[in-house]
Amino acid sequence: MIRDITIGQYYAQDSSIHKLDSRTKLMGVLIYIVALFLVKNPWWYLLLFVVILALYRLAKVPYGYLLRGLKGIVILLIFTFVFRLISTPGIPVAQLWIFTITGEGITKAISLTVRIALMIIGASLLSYTSTPRELADGLEKAFGFLEKIHVPIHDMAVIVMIAFRFIPILIEETNVLMDAQASRGVEFEKCSVWKKCRNIFSLLLPLFLSAVRRSSDLAMAMEARGYSGEGETSRMYPLRYHSGDRIAYVLMFLFLAGVIVMRVVNIY
Amino acid sequence: MMRIERLGFTYSKNTVDECRVLEDISFHIQEGEFIGLIGSSGSGKTTLIKHLNGLLKADSGAVYFQGQNIYDKGYVLSKLRKEVGLVFQYPEHQLFGRTVLADVCFGPQNLGMSKEEAEKSARDCLELVGINESYYHTSPFELSGGQKRCVAIAGILAMQPKILVMDEPAAGLDPETKHMIFDLVEEIRKKRNIAIVLVSHHMEDVAYYANKVLVLHQGRLVLTGEPEEVFTKTEFLREIGMDVPQITSVTEKLMKEGFPMVNPAITVKEAEERILKVFRERGGAE
Amino acid sequence: MIDIKNLVHRYTIWESDTKKSKKTVLDDVTLDISPGQLVAILGPNGSGKSTLAKHLNVLLLPDEGTVWIDGKDTKDAKALWDIRSTVGMVFQNPDNQIVGTSVEEDVAFGPENKNLPSTLIQEKVADSLRAVGLLHKRKSSPFRLSGGQKQRVAIAGALAGTPRCIVLDEPTAMLDPAARKEVIHVIHKLNKEAGITIVLITHHTDEVVGADKIILMNQGHIIQEGTPKEVFDNFELLKKVKMDVPQVTELAWNLARQGIPIKTPVLTEEQFVTEMMRIYEDGKNREDC
Repeated sequence: MIRDITIGQYYAQDSSIHKLDSRTKLMGVLIYIVALFLVKNPWWYLLLFVVILALYRLAKVPYGYLLRGLKGIVILLIFTFVFRLISTPGIPVAQLWIFTITGEGITKAISLTVRIALMIIGASLLSYTSTPRELADGLEKAFGFLEKIHVPIHDMAVIVMIAFRFIPILIEETNVLMDAQASRGVEFEKCSVWKKCRNIFSLLLPLFLSAVRRSSDLAMAMEARGYSGEGETSRMYPLRYHSGDRIAYVLMFLFLAGVIVMRVVNIY
Repeated sequence: MMRIERLGFTYSKNTVDECRVLEDISFHIQEGEFIGLIGSSGSGKTTLIKHLNGLLKADSGAVYFQGQNIYDKGYVLSKLRKEVGLVFQYPEHQLFGRTVLADVCFGPQNLGMSKEEAEKSARDCLELVGINESYYHTSPFELSGGQKRCVAIAGILAMQPKILVMDEPAAGLDPETKHMIFDLVEEIRKKRNIAIVLVSHHMEDVAYYANKVLVLHQGRLVLTGEPEEVFTKTEFLREIGMDVPQITSVTEKLMKEGFPMVNPAITVKEAEERILKVFRERGGAE
Repeated sequence: MIDIKNLVHRYTIWESDTKKSKKTVLDDVTLDISPGQLVAILGPNGSGKSTLAKHLNVLLLPDEGTVWIDGKDTKDAKALWDIRSTVGMVFQNPDNQIVGTSVEEDVAFGPENKNLPSTLIQEKVADSLRAVGLLHKRKSSPFRLSGGQKQRVAIAGALAGTPRCIVLDEPTAMLDPAARKEVIHVIHKLNKEAGITIVLITHHTDEVVGADKIILMNQGHIIQEGTPKEVFDNFELLKKVKMDVPQVTELAWNLARQGIPIKTPVLTEEQFVTEMMRIYEDGKNREDC
């Protein structure tokens, strides 16, 4: 499970999607999500799915990675599906133990699950094609106006970047710890609740200590390289819109307009 | 005691990252053996040792412990975990107990020892690794780096394993602590007649302590034998990107220059004896 | 380049919540390192060598005594950023000093903090990565690199600040032998080709054989200082502070003690072979006479 988290997993490729400014991509994801919520007919999800497939192809990210992003949230998906299935009122079509399944429930469950899945697939593409640094820079620029009202956007961008950098390290470390404690007889599945707590503790404490150790090391390393948290800093690759971004924006807004128009005139 | 038969393992099966890590591995571990498992980074050493106590399940082949296949239905893995103690790299990072003693008792108690038994075993093992009784009730985090490592090793030893597997137990330690830990392991092996499996990059240590060496390369066992046999195959080892002990390399060079030695030496002591012998024999002829 | 006079450093230890005591980790250390030298600081854990390293980059300040970097006193707050751009640091754990999520991002971190123009940063990053031989990995994630490569990225990160001196605090302690060689090779190259002063802190004696000067530390004191030949000549002292010596050095010593006329200390394999063959041929010639 824990190995399947795709957040912060950049997939290095040389593609037109990778080259886009991260602000453009952020906007793209936003529009994509809005579109997901605007469309109602399940067939339109298929269209959105095709669009995403095309974008993955364009970004030269293998389709295997598409499923990877979903694996991490498979439990959430199942939960959403089952919950919607049994909790939507309507015309009953089947009876399972104490639960009534309705026709509306089936439709709702499918459409909601698909919507979340599509959302994750779209957002994963963003993290596959932009380094966390680019994302942090993009967010920093996009929300830079907040700096005026003393929201420390720059510091937050640095924090986001470091968090992304350490996610895979801490995941790896958790895996090693799980193996190590399992070698000392810890079982994470079949045991009483009290024991489970104690067992989780045997992971959390070492993990916490390691995070503290790492952060104090890192703080020293950053200080040695001139990081002070104050003053102006520059960028190796300052964010700059290129012609590709302009084309992308035009396409994105055309797409959004199309979806809105369809929604308003109700053509299914 | 343990027999590994034609073991194979694939990482991330049926995904984009699918990768064959181990292929057709067979060897056995006997009482009192000191096995050195060597291989360059990424050769599959860590993956292999995770099979020895059932943390990973092979997708082909079998592991027999005391005659029983551990992949048989109904085999209790927790029993195996007790018999095969695994010490991971930087084991001090897994310490979490409130006191040194409590931490060492954690493994044995999980694996079915009673509180009294566990404590007795823990005390024995702490004494073995040279941790003074005055530390038993302090927090393990107050100890020095070397001491923490010893406590972590005691935590595995206290389970009274019959096979002790250690992944690079001396990593990051200074020479003094390193020698202390190796000597200690050697002492425990003799005392309890347990088997040791040492995974290490340091050929000098393996050559000095091991009495059987396994060489892993790209997931396959490419060489098995006594240290003398393995390390004197210098050309082959270099070909697969591995080091030989410096002493082996230097005695080999001597031989090439025409110094009358039969075989390259693998420890300093051996080299010393052989060189002295050459001079003494000549002295005797004079 | 580096001039240290009577440096004393004490740590505060909290024995309980209210009681504290001081522990002296560096006691009256005086040291002089000239530009362009490769100096190795050798000593067991707890000898104070890492504490000494942190003084060179103003990560710590002296309790007594003075540290001058390039003539600037580290206690002078105004000189802080000057000193930090003169002296680059590389630490032990490669994972805990890489900030960026790609190789070049990380190397750029230092110059970015200095607010340099983008084109200059790109130049510096490319130069630094070329110097450690990792230019082809510039877009990779540090997570996918080997230990040796990660440590080379860290060196490139220090290098991008165009320092005249790099201090490496046990850069090889967590690496396997192959990676250790890789890193030591890069360090020597930087010293020889770019003329950068190197302070290498380590407890592996085989890494210091090629140094210009070795400083042997134990319990907060410098107990010996000299060329590798001089330091390895004092075999007893090295054994006393429980340092390992390379196997050839030990073998040569043992043979010498048994009456073989070998010139000690022997530092390299080549030296040992030449020495041994000389003695062997000598003996044979005498026999022939």
